[in-house]
Amino acid sequence: MARRTVEIDLNRVEGDLEIQVDLEDDVIVDARCIGTLYRGFEQILIGRAPRDALVITPRVCGICGTAHLYATVRALERIGGIRPPRHATHIRDLCLMAENLQSDLRQTFLFFTPDFCHPSYAGHPLADDAARSFAPFQGDVARGCLETSRKVLRIVAIFGGQWPHSSYMVPGGVTLPANAGRLLDARYLVAETRAWLERSVLGDNLDTWLALDSGPAFFEWLESSAAHRDAGLGLLCRFSRSIGLQSLGRGTPHLISFGMRPDPVDGGGFPAGFYDGDADRVEPLDQMRINEHVSHSWFMPYPGGRHPWSGETIPDHMSGQGRYTWAKAPRYGDKVAQTGPLAELRIGAEPLITDLLAAEGDNTWLRQFARLRRAAWTVRAMAEELDALQRCMDEPHFVDPGIQDWPDGEGCGLVEAARGALGHWLRIGNGVIQGYQIVTPTAWNASPRDSAGQPGHWERSLIGLRLEDPEDPVQIGHVIRSHDPCLVCTVHFIGRSRKTYPCV
Amino acid sequence: MNLVWMQTGACSGDSMALLCAEQPSLESLLDQGRPRLLWHPSLTSERRFGAVLDALLLGREPLDILCIEGSLMTGPSGSGLFDTWRSRPKIDIVRQLASIAGHVIAMGTCAAFGGVHAATPNPTDCTGLQFMQTRPGGLLGEAWRGGAGQPVINVSGCPAHPDVMTKVLAMVAAGVPIDLDGFNRPAAFFSTLIHQGCTRNEYHEYDAEDEVLGGRGCLFFALGCQGPMTPGICNAALWNGRSSKTRAGVPCLGCTSPMFPPDRDLFVTPKIGAVPKRLPLGVSRAKYMAYKNLAKAAAPERILNRDMEP
Repeated sequence: MARRTVEIDLNRVEGDLEIQVDLEDDVIVDARCIGTLYRGFEQILIGRAPRDALVITPRVCGICGTAHLYATVRALERIGGIRPPRHATHIRDLCLMAENLQSDLRQTFLFFTPDFCHPSYAGHPLADDAARSFAPFQGDVARGCLETSRKVLRIVAIFGGQWPHSSYMVPGGVTLPANAGRLLDARYLVAETRAWLERSVLGDNLDTWLALDSGPAFFEWLESSAAHRDAGLGLLCRFSRSIGLQSLGRGTPHLISFGMRPDPVDGGGFPAGFYDGDADRVEPLDQMRINEHVSHSWFMPYPGGRHPWSGETIPDHMSGQGRYTWAKAPRYGDKVAQTGPLAELRIGAEPLITDLLAAEGDNTWLRQFARLRRAAWTVRAMAEELDALQRCMDEPHFVDPGIQDWPDGEGCGLVEAARGALGHWLRIGNGVIQGYQIVTPTAWNASPRDSAGQPGHWERSLIGLRLEDPEDPVQIGHVIRSHDPCLVCTVHFIGRSRKTYPCV
Repeated sequence: MNLVWMQTGACSGDSMALLCAEQPSLESLLDQGRPRLLWHPSLTSERRFGAVLDALLLGREPLDILCIEGSLMTGPSGSGLFDTWRSRPKIDIVRQLASIAGHVIAMGTCAAFGGVHAATPNPTDCTGLQFMQTRPGGLLGEAWRGGAGQPVINVSGCPAHPDVMTKVLAMVAAGVPIDLDGFNRPAAFFSTLIHQGCTRNEYHEYDAEDEVLGGRGCLFFALGCQGPMTPGICNAALWNGRSSKTRAGVPCLGCTSPMFPPDRDLFVTPKIGAVPKRLPLGVSRAKYMAYKNLAKAAAPERILNRDMEP
C-alpha cells in the first residue's frame, strides 16, 4: 500500500495551523496538527501588575477578546475574594453573548459556507442557490451577516467602548452602568438581529424553531415549507447532507463546556460540565482534572500531564523527537475532549442537539448546525439578559474592592468563549503576576498527541477520511472548518514522488 | 490595484476590526473594485496563499498594496521559527513581498512598532516593519521604500481604528498622496488626540479626577488615561459607530503609540507630587499646575457632584 503525504492550503479560519496527513490509497491513516506560531503571552504577563492582565489577555485573540477579559476578571476576583454586583454580571454576560453570537454568524457565513461555492460543486443542484446566498462579499446571506455582525458588536461598544479589545470588566464590576438609553439601544440591536435571523437564516419565527425538540421534528420542519428550505440554515443543511457531511469528521466522543453564563445570577442558560461519550453521561465539571501534556510540543519537556497551576510554558524548539507543534495537549483526566457549541448544547441537554448526537454521532454537519442553533439560543438569552439588567439597573455596577496591594493567591477564570471552553489560571505573589496559564478552546480541539500517544480531537476526526480527489480534497476544508479553528490552518500533503498543492 | 493581506504574529484583531468598518465598510470598498483583494487569511476563497505568492513573486501579477497584520517574530535565536508558513519563517516571506510591493501598510501597532508581543521580555524577539518601538529600523530597515517611494504606512492602534484602515486603503487605491507624521502614521488621522471629543472633557477641564474605576469623572490624574498624549480619532469617529473606551470609563491605554503597552501598571498614572508625570502634549508643568488650581476653584457643583453623564 503506497503511503504518502500531500500538502494543502486552507484559509478562512483564525490564526496559524498546519496539519500533516498520511494517506494510504487516498484514505487518511494519520494526522498531526501543527501550531506554527508562538507569541509568548504567558511570559509577557509574569512580573506585571495583576490588573494589567485586563489589557494584555484580550489581545490573545481578536475574535474572542471579551471572553479572555471575562476569564481574567474572574480569576482576579477569586484571588481578591470579590463578588461583583449583579448589575455588572448581566452586562458582562450580555457582552460575552454578543461576541459569541457575532463569531458564530461570521464563522458560519464567512468561513464555512463559502466552501459550497467551490468549483468542484459546479454541477450540484444547489450550486446556484449556494452562490446566491453564500458567495463571499456578494451572496445575500453573506452580506447580511457582515451587516448584522457589526450590529451585534455595537452592544459591546455601548457598554465597553469598543470591540475588539477593551478592558471594561474590572475587579468589582464594570466601568460603565446601564441606563435607560443604553438599554434601549441594546434592545433594538437585539431585535434587529433577531429579525435578520428569522428572515434570512431560519425562514421562520425564532421561538418556533427553538421549540423543535428532536431530529425527526427538525427534518419535517425543514421540508415543510420553501421558506425553511431556502433560508441560510435550510440551504446549509440540505447542501451539507447531500454531500454526506453528517457522516464525516467524527472525533473524540468526549465533550467539555464551561457553560453559557460563567456565574448564572438569575438561573438559565446551559451549565458547565463534562460529557463522557463512552458512558453517555454528563458529569459536573471539576477543573482540577484538567491537565496539559507537552510530550509532542516544542516546550521544555516534563513527564505526563500537569494541571495549569503547576504548568509552565518554556519554549524549546527541538526538531525531530516526535515534537511538532507550539500547542500543548490539554486532557480531562486522561480523556481527549472536544469543545464548542455542540459540547455546550449537549452538556446543557438541549433536546434537538442531544437527539441528533445520539442518532448520528458527532460529525461535520452537526458541529456547524449546533453553532447556528446556539446562535438562536443566544439571541433569546440576550433579550432575557436585558430584562434582568433592567430590573437591577438602580443597583451599583461597580463596588470598589479597595485593593492597593494584591494578596498572594491562585485563581482561575473559566468562560465559554465562541469556540468553547476557555480557562485562565493565574497566580499572584509579592503583588505581581507570578504565573499565568491559558488553555484556549482550540488548544482542546487542535491538540497534538499526549504522553500516552492519543491523538488530539482534530487529528482523530481526519483519520479514516477518504479523499475522493486527493488533488482537490474539499472534504478536508469542510471537516476542519466545522471545528471553527482559531488558527490559520494549512493541511500538509507532501507527495512521495511529486508535490501537489491543491486548493481548498 | 491588487491587495494582499498577510498575518504574522497576530491575534486577528485588526482583521476583525476591519469587518467592523462602517465609513466605508469593507464590502463597499471592495464593491468599487479598487483595491482587489487577492488574499486575506480569513476572508478570501478563490485562491490559496502559495498560488498567490508564486504569481506575485514571478511577476505575473503586480503587488500594489501589501498589508501586514502582526508583529514580526525573529526568534528563537534569529531563526524566525516562532512564526512559520510551511516551515518557512514568515519574516522571510514578508521581506520578499515587501521588495516587490508598491505600498506596504502596517495594519495595527504590532506590525508598525512591535506591539503587545514586544512587551518585556519580548519572548519572541519581535519587531515592527520599520520601527522597533520608537527606534527606526525594524524588520525592513530605516532606508526601505516601497515601489511608490514611501516608507511603510503605519496605521497603528490595537486594533487599528476600523474606519482609518478602510479610508487609508481607499486613499492608496485611488492614488491620493498620504502625508505621514514622525512615526510614519497617516497625518490625516493622527493629528487628533484621543482626548478630543472625550465626553469626560468637562471633568478634565475642572480637575474633577476619579481615584477609582467605575465613576463619571476624568481618568487622567489617577487611572492611567493617556488620552491627552495619544494621537488617534477614537473620540472623533466612534468605534462600532457608538462609543470609545474613555467614554465607557476605560482609560486610554495609548495603543497607537510606539511604546504600547508601557512597562508599568496600566491603571495607575505615574505622578510627580500630585500631578501626572506626563502632561497633555506640549503643556508646560508650571503653567499647567497654575491652570489646574484655578480650574479646580472654578468647578461648579454639578461637576464636583459628578451629576453629569459622560
